[in-house]
Amino acid sequence: MTRPVGVRSEPLLEVEDLAVVFHGSRGDVEAVSEVSFSVRPGEHVALVGESGSGKSVTALAVMGLLPLRSTTVRGSIRYDGDELLDLDARSRRDLRGAEMAMIFQDPMTSLNPVVPIGVQIGEVLQRHKGLRKTEAREVSGDLLGRVGISDGKRRLKEYPHQLSGGMRQRVLIAIALACEPRLLIADEPTTALDVTIQAQILELLRELVSGTGTALVMITHDLGVVAGLCDEVHVMYSGRVVESAPRRSLFGEPRHPYTGGLLGSIPRLDSARGEPLTPIPGSPNDALPWTHSCAFAPRCGNRVDKCTVQTPALRGSEHVSRPGDEQALRCFNPLDTREAS
Amino acid sequence: MSAATDGDDADPLLKVRGLKVHFPITQGILLQRTVGHVQAVDGVDLDVRRGQTLGLVGESGSGKSTLGRGILRLGVPLTAGTVEYDGVDIAGLKGERLRKQRSSMQMVFQDPMASLNPRQSVETLITEPLLAHGKPVNSDTVGRLLELVGLPRGAALRYPHEFSGGQRQRLGIARAVALEPALVIADEPVSALDVSVQAQVLNLLEELQERLGLTYVVIAHDLAVVRHVSDVVAVMYLGGIVEEADSDDLYQSPLHPYTRALMSAVPVPDPEVEDHRERILLHGDIPSPADPPAGCRFHTRCPYRQPTRCDDERPELRVLRPGHSAACHYAEQIARGDIEPADAAQMVGTS
Repeated sequence: MTRPVGVRSEPLLEVEDLAVVFHGSRGDVEAVSEVSFSVRPGEHVALVGESGSGKSVTALAVMGLLPLRSTTVRGSIRYDGDELLDLDARSRRDLRGAEMAMIFQDPMTSLNPVVPIGVQIGEVLQRHKGLRKTEAREVSGDLLGRVGISDGKRRLKEYPHQLSGGMRQRVLIAIALACEPRLLIADEPTTALDVTIQAQILELLRELVSGTGTALVMITHDLGVVAGLCDEVHVMYSGRVVESAPRRSLFGEPRHPYTGGLLGSIPRLDSARGEPLTPIPGSPNDALPWTHSCAFAPRCGNRVDKCTVQTPALRGSEHVSRPGDEQALRCFNPLDTREAS
Repeated sequence: MSAATDGDDADPLLKVRGLKVHFPITQGILLQRTVGHVQAVDGVDLDVRRGQTLGLVGESGSGKSTLGRGILRLGVPLTAGTVEYDGVDIAGLKGERLRKQRSSMQMVFQDPMASLNPRQSVETLITEPLLAHGKPVNSDTVGRLLELVGLPRGAALRYPHEFSGGQRQRLGIARAVALEPALVIADEPVSALDVSVQAQVLNLLEELQERLGLTYVVIAHDLAVVRHVSDVVAVMYLGGIVEEADSDDLYQSPLHPYTRALMSAVPVPDPEVEDHRERILLHGDIPSPADPPAGCRFHTRCPYRQPTRCDDERPELRVLRPGHSAACHYAEQIARGDIEPADAAQMVGTS
């Protein structure tokens, strides 16, 4: 499972202190703030959180897909040394699709229903690689073969509605990988799929990404998907990262009460039956503002007085066994590593 | 010999035999010709014992929701078969008698936003089923039901949009148990909810079962959820049940190749487990129920498929062990390891 990452190569993507503010008619909403993470070539990083945690907004900010007029993005997003937030729209378009690509959750809404899939794949190649239409067709057919769609050449003429959900997701992956991007962001790529199809798609992603040095950012709410695929995990709650750790420590000894709570509330296929689940009380809507408290405090079992009057900072942990194994935690009263399940 | 009839002496609350639901596919505008049928449910036998939970699990298109609605006769015309509820065959009931019957069989729906009328207050929503069946409603009824599902009494005057997803699902459950039914069918009760909230609703369902002595049929695509709440699990594939067993037994020794594949595909939130387990990857998608494959419906994707018999003969659900049945010609041989999966590339280790 360990990928050759070399002697900790330079990060490909470095997000620092990212904040995204949406300007609405009823005032500003800070969807994401103080988010920092980095991804090295070949590394698989996960952003985990429930709906509203800001994980997708973070991805859209990295891709530069947020509407310019109604949003403000602060902080820094460095890709291969370049500051993306300083680039103009044109240069970002050149990067997007060629250097960095994204796979979206719902392939039915992200594919154009009235355009054959061959054209949609070829489009990327024509735009970024300057291929002619006929050349693009050739390459598109091969790409479909690579993502496991047999008889790719013939199927280029098909429209999205003629394909099943799993096939559509494969087409999206083909589009994303058309220009061999160095950074791939997958936003809930399997959420809309059945489990057996999910397994196929995850295996395909794993296969396509490993060995090529492509960095993968996986965005999901499913901790099970993360456990088998990602090296580093960042857990988000209400717009901020609350815990970052390599997957083994995160799943083995979760420190943040939210992470621990999530793990305790999912029924596991391999656990003894009849063990009651321990849900996190309340709902994500109950979050407090981060400005003067911990957003998770109202639902937290480890709450102390400080939690509702002061903002916990994201602190690195004292013991870092290997460089690069960054662990960070945003909590005043973390779980005891021994008692955590 | 149906699998469901074996062994147990207790008379089941719900007894389904040979249930078929076929939807006609029509062509033409004025003179509609029937050109085929979607065989959503095709020959299902089921027994649900009192106070127990039966889990129905399957992928989309397996017919699990249609089966659930077919049992309740909820907008789904039955093509064939009987549904015996508490000794009464309800498959032939119509009109007022069917409506009366429904007061003891209720449903919890998947999307609590879509199943609650946004213009009705919680009080109206909850008293509606009671009024429809002419049950007495007094000043305490609503408050008592709200408390039962863990909502404050003050919620009675609010509207569905004021609640979070989990709270809305609690309202849906309150409506379902308002008539004190014996049987509750829950169709994907947690799949629309946030992960941290799912456990709350699952626990509530279990708690209500204990307090009210409910019998559940829980329909879900998530095998881990189904296994957690169910006593008996039935796995569906393309309109039929392929395996039925006690929940623990099913997990420890799945007998049908589809169940094995399904189970190996469910991700487990534990890196240690994920890195070392074997995965059976199925090729392709679930075939269309309008044109199901001949013979065993799973043979097009089955790694253990054997020549001719699997293609020609549809396997019956057979009892292979007490309380454990599967619809596979070669279940015993596969369990013993006599038959190897045809395509070694389908077995993928992750490490």
